[in-house]
Amino acid sequence: MSNSVVSVISRFLEEYTTTTPNKLKVVDAYLLYILLTGAMQFLYCLLVGTFPFNSFLSGFISSVGSFILGVCLRIQINPQNKGDFLSISPERAFADFLFAHTVLHLVVMNFIG
Amino acid sequence: MIRSKLFGLLLLSLALAGAPALTPSHHLSLSDVGRLQNLLNQPYTDLESAYYSVVGLTKLGAAVPNPAEVCQFLKSQLDPSSVDSLFFAAETSQAISGCEIPVSNETRDILLAAVSEDSSVSQIHRAVGALSALGLPLASQEVVGALTARINKEDNVMAIISALQTASCLSQQAELGGILEEIEDLTARLDDLGGIYLQFEEGLEATALFVAAAYGLSDHVDMEPPLKEDQVIQLVNSIFSKKSWDSLSEAFSVASAAAALSNNRFHVPVIVSAQGPATVSHNQPTLQLLVTDVMSQPLASANVMVESAYAVASKSVVLNQAPFTHNDGIFELNFMSSQPASGYYQFTVGVAGDTRLVANHVELKVKVSTEVAITNMDLSVVDKDQSIGTKTTRVQYPSKAKSSFTADSHQNFAMSFQLVDVNNDQELTPHQTFVRLHNQKTGQEVVFVAEPDSKNLYKFELDTADRKSEFDSMSGTYSLYLIVGDATLENPILWNVADVVLKFADEEAPAAAQPKTLYVPKPEIQHLFREPEKKPPTVVSNTFTALVLSPLLLLLILWFKLGANISNLSFSPSTILFHVGHAAMLGLMYVYWTNLNMFQTLKYLAIIGGVTFLAGNRMLAQKAVKRMEKK
Repeated sequence: MSNSVVSVISRFLEEYTTTTPNKLKVVDAYLLYILLTGAMQFLYCLLVGTFPFNSFLSGFISSVGSFILGVCLRIQINPQNKGDFLSISPERAFADFLFAHTVLHLVVMNFIG
Repeated sequence: MIRSKLFGLLLLSLALAGAPALTPSHHLSLSDVGRLQNLLNQPYTDLESAYYSVVGLTKLGAAVPNPAEVCQFLKSQLDPSSVDSLFFAAETSQAISGCEIPVSNETRDILLAAVSEDSSVSQIHRAVGALSALGLPLASQEVVGALTARINKEDNVMAIISALQTASCLSQQAELGGILEEIEDLTARLDDLGGIYLQFEEGLEATALFVAAAYGLSDHVDMEPPLKEDQVIQLVNSIFSKKSWDSLSEAFSVASAAAALSNNRFHVPVIVSAQGPATVSHNQPTLQLLVTDVMSQPLASANVMVESAYAVASKSVVLNQAPFTHNDGIFELNFMSSQPASGYYQFTVGVAGDTRLVANHVELKVKVSTEVAITNMDLSVVDKDQSIGTKTTRVQYPSKAKSSFTADSHQNFAMSFQLVDVNNDQELTPHQTFVRLHNQKTGQEVVFVAEPDSKNLYKFELDTADRKSEFDSMSGTYSLYLIVGDATLENPILWNVADVVLKFADEEAPAAAQPKTLYVPKPEIQHLFREPEKKPPTVVSNTFTALVLSPLLLLLILWFKLGANISNLSFSPSTILFHVGHAAMLGLMYVYWTNLNMFQTLKYLAIIGGVTFLAGNRMLAQKAVKRMEKK
């Protein structure tokens, strides 16, 4: 059983490194970073406590929101998905990404306290 | 048409007479009339003051001092070319007998010329008043025409009141119907205050003059004014509620209103009040009532009768249709002859004898008081287990029991007595029946209530063990007092019945009874500010800050490994502007966190964001073109 899991994972990683274009890998690295940051914040909250709760929430929501927007960007600029996003060019996706981030950061900054 | 309208109103007012009517809450008492007369009796320096003074006094029925001097004054002050001067002089001379103002043809012409559509209503009133007082002929129909024309132009209250006053000087053959209708219009303009007062917003003088003018004109044409009974009473309340008057003209208006309301052909409000307090008792068995008009003049021809009287407590009717006897201006009724029990009685008194009387059904609360006697006062000390027989001592009021009673924690002290009405031997239950125990040494006193049982026998029991907290367990000799009181009792009682020695168990050292320290400054309260929440140690916080920031390092390493670079960065103005704008937006976020509020931030964001958007749009478009070219 563990064998198949290991083999699946190694196969996945191989395919990933070979077939994914560089641009997407850059975005994936960014997503990993966001994930780790969010995980660290959550760990702190679990271990030390929720004070101050509003700051924790704003930080965590920032991580989650950024992750989601990053995922959206990745989906939209993936050339394999071009058929689904005929009207949205990669530049347009990036512009949307920036605008959504502005709104997210406005809210996060308001809540951070 | 007016007649049918008035007739309809008459029927309506008769119908309303059955409803519980309003009674006057204010009128001119004899002292008020005296004060009014004194105010009107002031020395005067001009014709107008003389007019108010003299005519006002005659309206109150008072004698004018030195009529000859007044006449001389009028003649000397008269200005024959002024309509106002002629009016004041003429009216005042009419009030004094034997005073004649000389009249010339010029005077008559001046006065007649003033009666026209071009003069104000008050000018017309003064001219017509002067003409009629001086006995000069005038054309009533012309006056009516001029008045009607002026009323259309001058719609204010005082002008219409002057018109009413003018109309009462005219001949009865003239067409006064139009002016008569103005009474109804003015009534509609009165302000109703709480259902008790009815007055013009122009004030007391306007209201009083309106009443005088309305009744003057109604009497003149012999038509009942369209004022309902309740409205008349409300007007009475408004006019006579003020007991000190600011000016001579205000006093004059009140005097005119008082005269009009006490002596007109249609509505005479009746004031019924008790002479002294409305109380009857065995010593004073007659209820005395004063029945007067609004100026406190007694109505001699009235028939006063108790329509019904019932006891407030039991609602049983005591009197029905009992007449009062007239005795030298006061109406008397011997109420005690019906042998009422003590208490309060609600009387409905009706005044008849004149169809003009208004508010002639009055509700009056009468108190019947009596004297109380305490009988069968028995004191005893009862053992709690009741194994030892009780020894009852009878005490007679007002003496005190010869020996004192002792009660310790195993015993109860008991008291029973009866309260009876001296006059008819009925048992009474007064409002206050208290038993007061007063410690002779410490001054401490405790008061209990004695309650009657179903047979109206009062009982009081003192359980020594139970009640020790009230006494602070202070043993000693207490004087026992019985306090009996009630509003209907003429002889409230404070009776030192006996001395009681109380022995409490667990007695503390007898400390003097301390007055409660209620008014001494209390200990200061220190405000406890909200404790700030416990923060984790700085080490932990710093560690986690480093941990949270560390993925950034990882990101940079990964990007470097992937070969992400900025080699394609073209230094076109839009690119630079975009990056600068974007950096500015991120900087704004930081400044928002530290300094600004949302509104300011949105303002700056709009500006910077707009610039960044335009630049970014241009930059991305250039990139897209480059991408297309590459393909």
